[in-house]
Amino acid sequence: MKITRRAVIALTAAAIAMPAFAQEWPSEPVHVYVGFPAGSSPDLLARIITEPLAERLGQPVVVENKPGAGGVIGVQQMLANAEGGHVFGTSINGPLTTSPRLVPDIGYDVATDIAPVALIATSPLVLAVNAKNEAGDLQGFVDLAKAEPGALSYGSVGQGSGAHLTAELFDADAGIEMLHVPFTSYAEVTTSIIGGEIDAGFMAPSAALPHVEAGTMKMLGVTSAEPFAQIPDVPVMAGNAGLPETFRAELWNGFIAPASTDPAVIERLNTEINEILQDEAVQQKLLDMGWQAAGGTADDMKNRIAEDTTMWGAVLDRIEAQ
Amino acid sequence: MQRDWADIWGGAVLALVGAGVALHAGLRLDFGTLRAMGPGFFPVTLGVLLLLMGAGIALPALKRGAEPVIFRWLDAGAVIAAILIFGLGMGRLGVALACFLAVIVASVPAPHGGWLWRVLLAVAVTLLVWVVFILGLRMGLPVWPRFG
Amino acid sequence: MTAWEGIAYGFGVALQPDVLIYCLLGVTLGTFIGVLPGIGAMAAISLLLPITFYISPEAALIMLAGVYYGAQYGGAVASILLRLPGTPQSAVTTLDGYPMAQQGRAGVALFVSMASSFIGSILGIIVLVVLAGWLSRAATAFGAADYAAMMILGLVAASTIGSDRPVKGFAMVVLGMILGCVGTDVNSGAQRFTFARTELLDGINLVALAMGLFGVAEVIGNIRNAERQAAPERVGFRQMMPTRDDLRRIPFPALRGTALGSFFGALPGTGSTLSSFLSYAMERRVARRPERFGKGAIEGVAGPEAANNAASITAFVPTLTLGIPGDPIMALMLGALVIHGVQPGPMMLEARPEMFWGLVVSFGIGNLLLLILNMPLIGIWVSMLRIPFRYLYPAILIFVCLGVYSVRGSSFDMGVVAVVGIAGYLMALARFSPALLLLGFVLGPLIETNLRRAMLISRGDPMVFLERPIACGFTIATCLLILLSIWQVWRRRHG
Repeated sequence: MKITRRAVIALTAAAIAMPAFAQEWPSEPVHVYVGFPAGSSPDLLARIITEPLAERLGQPVVVENKPGAGGVIGVQQMLANAEGGHVFGTSINGPLTTSPRLVPDIGYDVATDIAPVALIATSPLVLAVNAKNEAGDLQGFVDLAKAEPGALSYGSVGQGSGAHLTAELFDADAGIEMLHVPFTSYAEVTTSIIGGEIDAGFMAPSAALPHVEAGTMKMLGVTSAEPFAQIPDVPVMAGNAGLPETFRAELWNGFIAPASTDPAVIERLNTEINEILQDEAVQQKLLDMGWQAAGGTADDMKNRIAEDTTMWGAVLDRIEAQ
Repeated sequence: MQRDWADIWGGAVLALVGAGVALHAGLRLDFGTLRAMGPGFFPVTLGVLLLLMGAGIALPALKRGAEPVIFRWLDAGAVIAAILIFGLGMGRLGVALACFLAVIVASVPAPHGGWLWRVLLAVAVTLLVWVVFILGLRMGLPVWPRFG
Repeated sequence: MTAWEGIAYGFGVALQPDVLIYCLLGVTLGTFIGVLPGIGAMAAISLLLPITFYISPEAALIMLAGVYYGAQYGGAVASILLRLPGTPQSAVTTLDGYPMAQQGRAGVALFVSMASSFIGSILGIIVLVVLAGWLSRAATAFGAADYAAMMILGLVAASTIGSDRPVKGFAMVVLGMILGCVGTDVNSGAQRFTFARTELLDGINLVALAMGLFGVAEVIGNIRNAERQAAPERVGFRQMMPTRDDLRRIPFPALRGTALGSFFGALPGTGSTLSSFLSYAMERRVARRPERFGKGAIEGVAGPEAANNAASITAFVPTLTLGIPGDPIMALMLGALVIHGVQPGPMMLEARPEMFWGLVVSFGIGNLLLLILNMPLIGIWVSMLRIPFRYLYPAILIFVCLGVYSVRGSSFDMGVVAVVGIAGYLMALARFSPALLLLGFVLGPLIETNLRRAMLISRGDPMVFLERPIACGFTIATCLLILLSIWQVWRRRHG
C-alpha cells in the first residue's frame, strides 16, 4: 500500500478535526423539537433535561413545541430543520415504533433518518378499574373476562395508542376478549371508568394514582418487569394470571438527532444526558411525573426501538387480521 | 334588481361540496350500519344532507331577485397574498422583513393614494409586532433573514 | 372546613401581596391577550409556564387562571369593535355586538359585555362554592349517550340563529360538521379527508378556521367601505353609559346566561361554547320581538357574555374536584401544578386547601380587578374606531397570522387561514353565517364520537338514548323544541 503525503495530511487533519469539532460544538443555540404542546408531560420531561443541558453546553437550549399526530410532527419538523448540526428532538415511543405503520406518508424512515442519542425515561402502564369492580386482583379480572367474552370493555386514547396496543397484548397473552372503546384523552377514560360506563383502562400510574387515593379506582397490575417506584404495592403483571414472564409494555421517551449529526456530537450529548439523569433531584422530578429515569448508550436506545417495533408490529398484525 | 346569484351560486357550490364529500367518503371509508357506524357514516350522511340543502338554497333562488353583490378581486388577492407572504415567509425572511413586505402588499387596495404612508405604516406595524410578540410574548421566531 | 371558613382562609391566601400582584398580572395580560385576535389564553399560558417555575404554586395557579378568565373579557372587545372573535364562544358576541358598534353604540355594547361578564363570573363563583360537589357528581354521571343527546339539543337549539333563511343556517352547521370530520377518526383510526398531509391528522386547526372565517373575511369586505364606518365624534363618559332602557335589558338575560353557563361549563368538553350559543338562542326565543336580534339587540350580548364567563369559572369544578381537565387549557394548568409537585385530583381539596380556596377567592378579586381595569379602557377601545381602517387592517392581518402560528407553530395553518379567508369572504357576500359553521365544527365531532361511543358501549342498542335518564331528558327536550319550531312556522303561515 502506498501512503501518499496528501493522504497522511488528510488523515491527520481528520484526527485533529474530530475532537476539535466536538469541542467547538455547540457554536450556537441548540434547538430541541418536542411533538407535544407546552405543559404536556413529554414537554415537561424535555424541559427537565434541557435546563441542565443548557448549563452544561454553555449555550441556550430552546424547546420548540410542534404538536400533532401523536408526536410525529415534532420528528418531521426536526428533520426538516436539520441543517447546521444544532437541531435535535425528544420523542415518545410511538413516532419511532408504531407510527410509521399507522401514518401514511410519514416522510421519514426511523432506521436511516434518525440517530438515537439516549433513552431519557420509561413509564409503565397500570391496569385501572372502578373501585367497585368485582375483581380483587388480576386473576379475578381475567376470570371475569373469561366468564363472558366481550362483556368487559376498556378505554384507550385512540386506535394504535400505547393504551390500546397494551390492552390488545394483554388480551392475546391472557386469552381473553374485551371491547375496545377509544377516547381522545386519559381524562375522558378516567371519567368513564369512575362513572362506571366502561370497566377498565391501561393508563400512566400518575393518571390513576389520585383516583386510587380518593377511593374511586383501583390498580390491578403494572406492565413493567419490576414494581414501579411510584406505586410499589401494585404487583407486576408478568408471570401473573397466566401471563408469560416476558410480558412487558412500557412507554418511553428518548433524545434523538437527525442521522446526519456528527457521531462525536451524539457521543457528547449521550454523556451529558446520562450525567444529568444521575442527578437525584432530576430523578425525583421525573418520578413525580410518573417517569423512571433511564439512560444508557445510544445503541441501547437503538435496540429498544427495534425490539418495540417488532413487538408492537406483531400486535398490529393481529389487530389488522381481526 | 337581478337574480339572486349569491344564493344560486352559494347553493350550487354547497351541493357540489356535499356530493364530493359523500362520494369521496363513500368510496374510501367503511359506512357500517346504524348499529355499528363506520368512519364513513357521518361524512356520507352529512354530504348527502349538504347536497339536499344546497339544492334547497339554489332552486328557490332561481325565481327570486336580489341586490347584486360585487366580488372585489384586488382586495381579496392583496389580503391573501399578504397572509401567504407573512405566514410562509417569516421562517426564512424573519419576522421583520416578512411583516414589512406583507403590510405593503396588504395596503395596496386601500382607497388612499401615495406610498409614503404605506411605508410608514409598514415600519410602525413591524415595530409593534416586534415589541408585542418578540419582546413581550417572547415568541421564538427569527427576527432577521436567515441566509444559507 | 365549611364554605365560610374556606372563604376566610382563601382571603388569607389570595390577599398576600405577591399573590395579589400575580393575580393582577394575570388578569391584565389575559385582557390584552383576549383583545388580540387569534392569540388565546392557551398560547399565553404556555408562554407564561416557564415563569411559574419560580413562584409559589398558588400564585402560579392564580395567575394562569387570571389569564384564562381575563381573556374572556378581552375577547368581547375585538368581537364588538371589529367582528373578530378570538374564540368560538365570543363568536356569538359578534352577532349583535358588532351591529351595535356600527350604529355608534360600541361603548354601550362594551359596557353591557363587561357588566354581564362580571355578573356571570360572580354568580358563577357562588355556584362553584355552593354546588361544587353536586356539579362534580354530575360530571361523572354523564356518559357518552348523555353527551351526544345534550350536544344534539344544543345544535338544534342554536342552528337557526344569525341567518336570514333557516336552510342557509342548517347548511352552514352541516358544512361545519363536515369540516369537523377531517382528521383521524377517533373510533376506527381511519384517516378522513387528510389527503396524506400529516398536519391534517388532528383535524383542521380551530383558531385558523375561526380567524379565516371572521378576521380575514371581515378585512377583505371592509377595505373599501371602511372609510364610511360610523364613528362617534367624541367619546365621553356619557356616550358609553347605557340608557335606562339599556340597563333594564341586562339583568334577566345575564341571569339566564349564568344559569346555562354554570351548568354546561362544569361538564368536561366544550361547555363554554355550547352555553354561549344556547344563551343566545334562548334570548331570541324568549324575546317579544325576536326580529331585533342580529341588528344590535342588547340581550344578544348580555346573555352569551354572562354565559361564557360563568362557564369559565365553573370549568374549574372538574379540574379542581376530580383532577379531570375539561379542556386543553385546564390540562395545561394542571401541568403547571405537577411541576410544583402538587398532584391535582379528588384529594387536592383536602390535601392542599390553600390551592382551592385561594383560587376561589382570587376569582372574585380578579373579576373585580377586571371590572376596574376594563371600564376606563372602554373609552380607549372605542376611540380605536376613529383610526382609519386603512391603518388598522394590515396590522389585524399580521396579528391574525401570529395568533394562529402561536397555537402550534405550523406554517401549514397559514395556508389554511388564506384558503378559509377567501371562503369566508364569499360566505359573507352571500350572507352565510360563519358563527353557525363554527358551531357545527365544534359540536360535530363531539356528537359523532359520543354517539358512536354510546352505540359501541351499548353493543348497538339505540334504546340507550331513552333508558339513561339524562339522555332521555335531552332527547325529549330536543323533540319538543323541534315540534315547537314547526308549530311556530305553521302558526305564522296560517294566521
